[in-house]
Amino acid sequence: MQAADWTKTGVKGELTYSTFGCNPFQESNFPTPDRVAPDVNVERHMDVSLELPTPDGQKIRVWTFTDPLAPTVAGRAPMHPAPLMRFRQGQIVHSTLDPKKNAHTLHHHGIEPTTVNDGVGHVSFEVNARYTYQFRPSRAGTFFYHCHRNTPLHFEMGMFGPMIVDPPEGPGTLFSGGPKYDVERLLVLDDMDPRWHTLEHDAGMCGLDVGLNRFDPKYFLANGVFNNRTTTDPRVVINAKLGQTILIRLLNASYSVLETTIGLPGICHSMDGCSLGTEPWSSPLPLPANRPFTMSSAQRRDIIIRPTARGTFPVRFRFLHWVNGKVQDNGRGIVDTRIIVS
Amino acid sequence: MDRRKFLKASAVVVGAAALPAMATAQTTGGTFDLTIEAVDSEMIDGVFVFSLMFFDRSQEGRPILEVTEGDIVTINVTNLDTRPHGFGIPGIPAASVASIPPGGSATVRFTAPVGGTYMYIDPTLAPLNRILGLYGAFIVHPKLGTTAAGSPTPYSRSTHTPQVAALFDALGVHKRFPGNKWVPRDVERDKLWLFSQVDPLIAARVDAGEVIPPASVVPSFLPRYFMINGLSGYDTAPHKIDASLDWSKGSGRIMPHGREGQPTLIRNMNAGLCTHSPHIHGNHIFKLSDTRANGTVVLNTSCYELDAWPMEPMARRDVLLPFEKPIDAVVWPPKEEPFPMRYVMHCHTEMSQTAGGGNYPQGMVTHWEMTGPL
Repeated sequence: MQAADWTKTGVKGELTYSTFGCNPFQESNFPTPDRVAPDVNVERHMDVSLELPTPDGQKIRVWTFTDPLAPTVAGRAPMHPAPLMRFRQGQIVHSTLDPKKNAHTLHHHGIEPTTVNDGVGHVSFEVNARYTYQFRPSRAGTFFYHCHRNTPLHFEMGMFGPMIVDPPEGPGTLFSGGPKYDVERLLVLDDMDPRWHTLEHDAGMCGLDVGLNRFDPKYFLANGVFNNRTTTDPRVVINAKLGQTILIRLLNASYSVLETTIGLPGICHSMDGCSLGTEPWSSPLPLPANRPFTMSSAQRRDIIIRPTARGTFPVRFRFLHWVNGKVQDNGRGIVDTRIIVS
Repeated sequence: MDRRKFLKASAVVVGAAALPAMATAQTTGGTFDLTIEAVDSEMIDGVFVFSLMFFDRSQEGRPILEVTEGDIVTINVTNLDTRPHGFGIPGIPAASVASIPPGGSATVRFTAPVGGTYMYIDPTLAPLNRILGLYGAFIVHPKLGTTAAGSPTPYSRSTHTPQVAALFDALGVHKRFPGNKWVPRDVERDKLWLFSQVDPLIAARVDAGEVIPPASVVPSFLPRYFMINGLSGYDTAPHKIDASLDWSKGSGRIMPHGREGQPTLIRNMNAGLCTHSPHIHGNHIFKLSDTRANGTVVLNTSCYELDAWPMEPMARRDVLLPFEKPIDAVVWPPKEEPFPMRYVMHCHTEMSQTAGGGNYPQGMVTHWEMTGPL
């Protein structure tokens, strides 16, 4: 592969009003600098064909990333959210984006690589035909990945998926020296404004006013399940046996302030992929039962729960408007689910 | 048009005389002279919006007022607008005057409290006058800011928590933080992100003389422009760095810049009505401080790391950007990738990434850059 021409990117190319805001740098088959042999390869393609049937009998189009390397047909199909990436701490990861059509990027949120592996167009480049992002996750915790081109729209359209980094000892331990768990539940909370889902991929770029400053969500989902089924759907409900330790990995993938209330006491052991209490300046945070806590957009919380009695315990997510603080959609912006301890 | 100021700050208009925003005000014996004036202020897309702004004698909008703990501070405020206004610094009760009539003046005099980050505002008709633009930063430097072990911090020793002290003591010593201690009173190591939003419709209604009930502002607020220190998008970072760049004002005060191992304080404040979720790439930040309900500064007893953090209206929250090596880079220092390593900061509540209804990333976004390894 040819050596990189940095003058064609935001690293050495001139950042102008245009390249910053309207026509960010784009590159095809850009060679990954300092490329070394990977321990693990993942690949993501873009798909715009997915339509989700909504509780009110409509269909809403979402965009997503697919996993062409998945071992099963079902695993290669478009899904929402996009397929999980799961790595071990210390592995060298090659994550290849093939956008197939138009330009996109992959930003592995919370991962801190060099500039061109960070996936932001105006300070590096957007990908219009394959690029391999290279990084080595050094922290165990909960992360996610998303497209960083026309981010307001592409993220809302569904171009994101969860990402977990396990410690070297593997799943079952949150981080080395940290708590162990028996039952793991990743919960990705999302809201959708159907008006946004009718727009074209470049909507809002280059001065066009398409109202992306207004967000009025009508649909509320956990793990891609609409909130009319989240109290029963096995993709959302948490089942554990008495004596087991539960790990809930929360991701606020919505554009709302997410208020969470859990009917069991827990302890937050990591935030945004960073462990708490492993260094003298931080400590784990107790979360008393039924005391609401909030997360702003893109935040993660890893919460350990050790139930002491059998029963069914409520979990409620309220999606709050960023200006008036009220529950979205005139009070309907609520996702309920349950922890069932048997 | 009346004699109001006409502020061009945008890079859109090539060759326009850009007024550097938010310079540090010069004090004479702890005295600041502020005026409240109506302004036509240019947005990133070239639209001019009616605003109200504090000025000082240097004629630069929203001056940053910097003092030292224990100083006797005098602030003279002259209202050159046609409407009554007031002045206040939440957390400093003596720095408050309820109403200044059009053409009138008032003075507040008080002793600067312990070190920390404060916001001065016009609290009248809250939140209306604040979202029209009447806000600014008031920074108190500590008299004795070092930890017991001698590490400089931005806070008075009497307020240190063991966790804040442990973090500042670790800088330059701990294996995560080779390099330097934090350096006080260095504008390259002390950045300010004062978030705000503009609703041109509300601004136009005020300009037209309409009396807007304050209680109606939040329900009707539809921001179209999102700023840091009054700037948006391309304007929030200096794109040419040379010896003439003044790091104390404008985009220089926003963009963190330095080598690995040069930890930098970022003072976050939100003068607007939207809850933001600033997200920084390249490094996580350490959360250092919060604001008590009465407005005073409180240092955290757990300085945990975040890559996105909530900034609700009127929140003030200092964070430390450690300038650690990007910890997930495979090869460090890079051999085939040039410096600077440039990383975005944007709000993940992505409606704020727009300007005039579209156009990412001309909204509330900036970046920081690491110019080299240790």
